[in-house]
Amino acid sequence: MPDDFQNTYSLEPDVSKSLLPQSCQLVIFGAAGDLSWRKLLPAVYNLNIDGVLPTHFAVVGFGLPAEGHLSGDPDDYIRQRAKDGISRFSRQPLDESHWADFARALFFVPGSFNDARAYAQLKAKMEAVDQQFGIPGSRVYYLAVPPTLVGTCVEHLKAAGLIADPQQVRSFTRVIVEKPIGRDLDSARDIMRVVGACFAESQTYRIDHYLGKETVQNLLVLRFANSIFEPLWNQKYIDHVQITVAEEEGLAQYDPKTGEMIATRAGYYEGVGALRDMVQNHMLQVLCLVAMEPPWSLKPDVVRDAKVGVLNCLRRMTPAEVEKHVVRAQYIEGDIQGKRVPGYRKEVRESFEVMKKPLPPESVHSTTETFVALKLFIDNWRWAGVPFYLRTGKRMPKRASEVAIQFKDVPQVLFGSPTDVPLEPVVLSLRVQPEEGLAMRIASKLPGPKVRIYPVKMEFNYSSSFGGTSPEAYERLILDVMAGDATLFMRRDGVEAAWQFVMPILDHWEQMHVRDLPEYQCGTWGPVEADRIIVPDGRRWRTL
Amino acid sequence: MPESSARSVPLGAVERELLRQMRELQGPDERPVQRTRMANLVIYCTSQERAARLNAEIPDVVNVHPARVLLLVADADSPGTELEATALVRPLRLGSHGFSFSEQVTLTAGRSAVHHLPFAVRALLIGDLPTNLWWAAPVPPPFAGPILYELAEHAQQIVYDSSGWPDPARGVAATAGWLEQIERGGGPGHWRVASDVNWQRLKYWRRMLVQSLEGAEGRGLFESAAEIRVEHGPGAVVQAWMLMSWLTGQLGWKVQTGRVEPGVEMVWRFHGPSGEPLLRIHRRDEGLEDIQRIRIACRIDQRDSALDLFVQDGQRLALRVEGVEEALRTMTTPLQSPAELVGRQLSDRERDPVFRASMSVAQIMARSLLECFNGAAV
Repeated sequence: MPDDFQNTYSLEPDVSKSLLPQSCQLVIFGAAGDLSWRKLLPAVYNLNIDGVLPTHFAVVGFGLPAEGHLSGDPDDYIRQRAKDGISRFSRQPLDESHWADFARALFFVPGSFNDARAYAQLKAKMEAVDQQFGIPGSRVYYLAVPPTLVGTCVEHLKAAGLIADPQQVRSFTRVIVEKPIGRDLDSARDIMRVVGACFAESQTYRIDHYLGKETVQNLLVLRFANSIFEPLWNQKYIDHVQITVAEEEGLAQYDPKTGEMIATRAGYYEGVGALRDMVQNHMLQVLCLVAMEPPWSLKPDVVRDAKVGVLNCLRRMTPAEVEKHVVRAQYIEGDIQGKRVPGYRKEVRESFEVMKKPLPPESVHSTTETFVALKLFIDNWRWAGVPFYLRTGKRMPKRASEVAIQFKDVPQVLFGSPTDVPLEPVVLSLRVQPEEGLAMRIASKLPGPKVRIYPVKMEFNYSSSFGGTSPEAYERLILDVMAGDATLFMRRDGVEAAWQFVMPILDHWEQMHVRDLPEYQCGTWGPVEADRIIVPDGRRWRTL
Repeated sequence: MPESSARSVPLGAVERELLRQMRELQGPDERPVQRTRMANLVIYCTSQERAARLNAEIPDVVNVHPARVLLLVADADSPGTELEATALVRPLRLGSHGFSFSEQVTLTAGRSAVHHLPFAVRALLIGDLPTNLWWAAPVPPPFAGPILYELAEHAQQIVYDSSGWPDPARGVAATAGWLEQIERGGGPGHWRVASDVNWQRLKYWRRMLVQSLEGAEGRGLFESAAEIRVEHGPGAVVQAWMLMSWLTGQLGWKVQTGRVEPGVEMVWRFHGPSGEPLLRIHRRDEGLEDIQRIRIACRIDQRDSALDLFVQDGQRLALRVEGVEEALRTMTTPLQSPAELVGRQLSDRERDPVFRASMSVAQIMARSLLECFNGAAV
């Protein structure tokens, strides 16, 4: 393992060398799907290039081909699909010599997730791969499937005898469950119950890839390894916090040359929406790291206890508060990177045509939100009265995610600031993507005889300071699972607490039966309606 | 260190390309790449010719106030339907200690692609930095249409230059109202100012006039001034107009009538504290594109006299009191290029109430001309 990777490998310095990834097969359920194509297979390829994978390792894909049927050799099929995804999305460019090494350990078993015979074929394939690569029977099952299929998959795995006892020493079985865990609290509990009946909690890794990003991990270091921040990190000094996750992508991706749709997330996203897709998991997890009390150690359960502590303090909203503090919207036709792009409803219709599936009746005039903004409060000693503004949306001007801590204003008496140009507040912003780093905006005197104040921004950028490119979040997290480190994964009680916060919003929306949502043009920062939850407080959404 | 070559890239690859050029310019040096950005500067122009001149000026602007520059060229002569983006990194010397980098993105839009520009700008602005829009199109901002408002969406300052406006009276008449509108239009909690570079050019003239009026030679001038004659070079009529709207406002004069001889002279009659003085703004066909002379006819010590202020050697302003034997009084006026003026304006974000008051007077003066001409160009 290269030194630079090992140094960043674990949050807890003294375990960095003991938590090495162990030999195993990575079995990807839904290997031909979008997540696997864009993220998982490129991530594993990058781990291969970086030389951090175990010596005895292979990837087995499982599921139906993206096209619905398979005419040739399954292994050739997945290799071709992986190569395509890697060439488009990989952090490091496709290199033929590495590709050959990677491809020889990549296999595919076609089959339906609810077909017991397919699991028998999977079992046979995995045993053959064990033999071929000298793997001691250890498995990491990555369930890159919709939440509704998770139960089916794990029950079949159990029935097929493909789950090892957690006490077993020689080999291990672990399962990675993708977010969102369920569509609501009840279905989340159902999924966790079913998964819990098949896998022990110690074998279960509920993934949220945001937690694998360097800046997100750096939140803990920033807060607890620098003496200047923590004394200020409370309601006395912080005016408010804004967390923004802006996506440039919409529902579908188009070939830049032909303009044809080449991929769509409609099958997953339609009916799910931004609140479930982003807020319930990514954003609340990031919020936890911003707001949690100092953990007494960096052991996985200690950190996760501190995070759950935040979720338990989130103020639940009444229907009236949902109306007041939450805004949802949907994108309409607009402009991204100099190109005209269609609105959400049109993309949904076209996506189902491309997928050759009938458009569900409720999607004809879809009310799935592609944007949500909300104001929330954490009712504890540290954060009493401090609003947290969360905002996420698709088809925004750029892909940008950040946490911004805005400190309280100084009393505006010293510098006679004119009221029409007020002193700009100090802001600490942590950029999660695209360029991970942090920045601090402070006020400074302009050179010259008059006292004139100008905001200056001090920036630290990971890539320009440390060089190279940081590993993708999925790379880090897949390695963590192979190493058995659950620090960056969600615990069952954390998932439930997050759903408990979100449910009053979902329930109220369901009762509203709206026919149309507020709209925003593609390539803008959201609907004007979003201002109503922040502007009356004398604050503004940040421009990223 | 030479600047890198501007390179054409897809819009989505601009940030990557800027970083690549910075690393390339830095060479094998392993220190972190240092980029300096005090502001976003969005520049809008409407021809390739103007863009070429701006490209020559931009290094001077960012030397005064380092900024991420987004140069928007709405090229009406091009039928292009797509935006073209180029990225360029320039080294920026930081005292004697070393260097940093400044960055420029040029977006060129044919006439069918101009509507893409505001979207592209949103994606390229850097958060937490003040944003300035430099309106470098020939049309005065009040007549710019929706594109200005869309580009100004995130701007705290709009910088424009009234020098050379093709229809000065109409431009001046509209601008006072527009200033009020644009500055209030930032929305709740969002301030915005508009600044005319031409106003900055008047700094030394105004200083000289104030000192003249406050000095011994100025005593009694208010009451006795019968005529002010301003001579300016081509393209400087608005500059002269603004200076006079400021001066007459300070003197408490009220506009009565105005008339214009197009391309030659504008004349106003005022109601002053003790009479009806005339103001003549007279165009010279040659010379600097600036105010060149101001003559204030008045009585000093019971005799007909005049204050004569003029440009001497292009580097100083001089004051002579006619009929009085004494040495010229002079004030050095450092030469400031348009780029330097814009660069300095970027950090000067306070609303200037004197400018606003002067524009209100200028608007009244403009209306008196427009009424006289019943809407024809003056």
